[in-house]
Amino acid sequence: MVNNTLPRCELVVYNDWWWTGSCEYSDIVYGVDSWMEFKQPDMTSSNTNPFLQIYPATPIRRAFNTVPDNETYLGVSKELAKITGDRRFEDLWKFIEERKIDVYLQRIIDHSATLKGYRFHYLEQLAREGIPALLNTRTYPRVNGYEQVHESKPWATRTGRLEFYRPEPEFIEAGENLPVHREPSDSTFHDPCVIVAAPHPALRPRQPGDWGFDPEDRAQHPRQMRNIMLSVDELLQSRHYILDQGYDHIFHTPKFRHGSHTTPIDTDYMMVLFGPFGDMYRRDKRMPGTGELYVDMHPEDARVLEINDGDYIWIDGDPAYLPFRGWNDPEKADAYKVARLMARARYYPGTPRGVTRMWFNGYMATPGSVKGHETREDGIAKNPETNYQAMFRYGGHQSLTRTWLKPTHQTATLVYRRLFTHVLGQGFAADVHCVTGAPREAMAKFEKAEHGGIGGVGLWRPVELGLRPTTESEAMKRYLAGEFVNV
Amino acid sequence: MPKVYNWQIGREMEFPYEGVRPKRQFAMVMDTNKCIACQTCTVACKTTWTPGRGQEYMFWNNVETKPYGGYPLGWDVRILEKLGVRDMTGPVYEGKTIFEAAPDGEIALGYIPEDEDWAFPNVGEDECTGSMEQGALYTMPHMQWMFYLPRICNHCTYASCLGSCPRQSIYKRPEDGIVLLDQHRCRGYRECVKGCPFKKTHFNPITRVSEKCIGCYPAIENGRQTQCTITCIGKIRLQGFISKPDEAREDNPLDYLIFVSKVAKPLYPQFGLEGNVYYIPPIHVPPRYLTQMFGYGVEEAMETYRRATEDKKLLGALLLFGSTPEIIERYEVQNDTAIGYNKDGGELVRVPIREPIHVRAAYDEQYETHRTNIT
Repeated sequence: MVNNTLPRCELVVYNDWWWTGSCEYSDIVYGVDSWMEFKQPDMTSSNTNPFLQIYPATPIRRAFNTVPDNETYLGVSKELAKITGDRRFEDLWKFIEERKIDVYLQRIIDHSATLKGYRFHYLEQLAREGIPALLNTRTYPRVNGYEQVHESKPWATRTGRLEFYRPEPEFIEAGENLPVHREPSDSTFHDPCVIVAAPHPALRPRQPGDWGFDPEDRAQHPRQMRNIMLSVDELLQSRHYILDQGYDHIFHTPKFRHGSHTTPIDTDYMMVLFGPFGDMYRRDKRMPGTGELYVDMHPEDARVLEINDGDYIWIDGDPAYLPFRGWNDPEKADAYKVARLMARARYYPGTPRGVTRMWFNGYMATPGSVKGHETREDGIAKNPETNYQAMFRYGGHQSLTRTWLKPTHQTATLVYRRLFTHVLGQGFAADVHCVTGAPREAMAKFEKAEHGGIGGVGLWRPVELGLRPTTESEAMKRYLAGEFVNV
Repeated sequence: MPKVYNWQIGREMEFPYEGVRPKRQFAMVMDTNKCIACQTCTVACKTTWTPGRGQEYMFWNNVETKPYGGYPLGWDVRILEKLGVRDMTGPVYEGKTIFEAAPDGEIALGYIPEDEDWAFPNVGEDECTGSMEQGALYTMPHMQWMFYLPRICNHCTYASCLGSCPRQSIYKRPEDGIVLLDQHRCRGYRECVKGCPFKKTHFNPITRVSEKCIGCYPAIENGRQTQCTITCIGKIRLQGFISKPDEAREDNPLDYLIFVSKVAKPLYPQFGLEGNVYYIPPIHVPPRYLTQMFGYGVEEAMETYRRATEDKKLLGALLLFGSTPEIIERYEVQNDTAIGYNKDGGELVRVPIREPIHVRAAYDEQYETHRTNIT
């Protein structure tokens, strides 16, 4: 994204209430109010939550000189109207100009199936007192499918039934017209992205021969179009081609409980608790902040690679298809230095052999944060110009993961119910039928970079004290077994 | 040393001061089966009480993953090792408490952690014991296990920090049993840090005196539960007052959990402090480890908890956790509803034993709209 996509954009404009990595790469950043600072009300809901969340306007004063986010849209649109002479840019946001947010929200309510009849001002008054608004759904608690199961009402599908066969040509072409298993796009020890199913007359996907490409071509795009079908036995005998090149660990990046979406996890208090390596005093000046991201490895895997618990390691993905293209181009050396992932390794017995994990939410290194830890006296990975705080010295979890755009997530034919209506829709719908863009998986190679002890000397202190998995002291072993008491 | 009665070990024991119980005793029950270690309590406490200089490393409230976590590093492993192997075979603990095991000339068995031991407050997060075989099936107790242990000061009846202080700077409030440290009297000798086996007193290197969890006493004085309790998103905590052991009241939810159903157990009772924070043990963890941590009777507590649906009073008390920010002094279960009352008998909250399901009409005549569940 940073090195391949953004350079092709003329201008990147962003609004946020926290200085994130996205702000680091923007030409213009508008600082906007956080949820706690809204001077105009707002509301939100999700399609499984039985409540409507109302954000009442607040008397809390703003922490910084920010504006409401919708005023940034209005401002930009006004300028676009001036440049183009098309007033519609501006008119679209008329309700913001006139500060009639409540009228606009009322209109949304009037046209939402589960909110029709509600009065916004009343809901806002309740919200001020901490009283939530229940959606006008059929049951509470909300039991999805209640009417379909108990009253034989039609499902929101093409036939009105639960459909286990997809007759659309795109699904037949993809071999997904019947429920089949697809191996993960990348994170598997076996042939990636293949269809695993017994032969069946209905399964006749288009394959490399039909498309006209080499069946052995497993580059990212062809891989998703190969549609090679294997039986379970054949799959288990197959090997991911990258294993033999040393990229023999699955690398997963799931979400974590200490941060999600807009949570500012780069504050000292959050970072110090974000995993096992937090130290409020940063006794080890290599630490990017009061805490840092790490990769969980099975202790036996780490030992084979001579990686100790708490060591810093380099983590690399497939050089042919890394998200960072041109990593070996001397002209891109500076950018690659920022992008190549370094983090601590943690001995974590809870993961199977060969499978590693790094949490998704860490703030990645940027040119500014790298400049920060390389030039600041305190070594903090904080951009001296913007104060952006990274949770890595180098790279980020997305240094080796990439998005997989699955063909059957991109069809124009699938039928669903439009959000907050009784109307059937078809084709693309955000959050319902669309590509999932979050990069989550890769095959990875690990290499020791530095010792885990303070300043790169010796072992990480908890290892030395005998308190860590597989390197327990005698006392720790007795403690784990409960042997300090006779029962 | 005077003799005092410690009900948690079922016998009299030595303590530096006469055993005078406060008029009321601050207490808390935490259900470890519900904690997810989100650290909301930790951050709520941190931002409320310890955001200042010299307090950076302090977490009066912390949540650690057991068995590999510990703040400070290995605190319980170290004191258990010092105390040695002890019998936990009956309701009366015959082994030595940390007061009885104290070296000559000292009040309690203890140690001062290294400064570096206070780093890594979330070490061990989510780490389980041993690795899982491919295709293995979990049975009870789990073969590989971990759980989360949230911790505050235990506001002990026989507080070792208090007993260890050479200047009597630490005192127990007669009105609520909260253990406080007078920072004007304190000279920063750190005897309390050494003496507290739970390591819940902290030395402030800027003020050069010590400080500790204050049980959110300004809230308590106004009938409200502590910050760590009311911010808990998992509703794992109930804070209130525990009666004297011979005066337990069935209609006090804490008494019911601790004395009547005996589902909540003290933390390391063998230390002899009679702490006032109680834990419902995690039911998937091997009983021997839990006996080491929560004392005799753990297996019965786990069994009682598993069968909580058969005891409406128990279930009612459990459902009151996190149901109100105010202190519940009395409760009852009426018509399948748990009702909590404040000290004046005013109703605070009603929680249904079973969440009712409401099925509305398919068509809403008033708002002229069809009701559906899938949106």
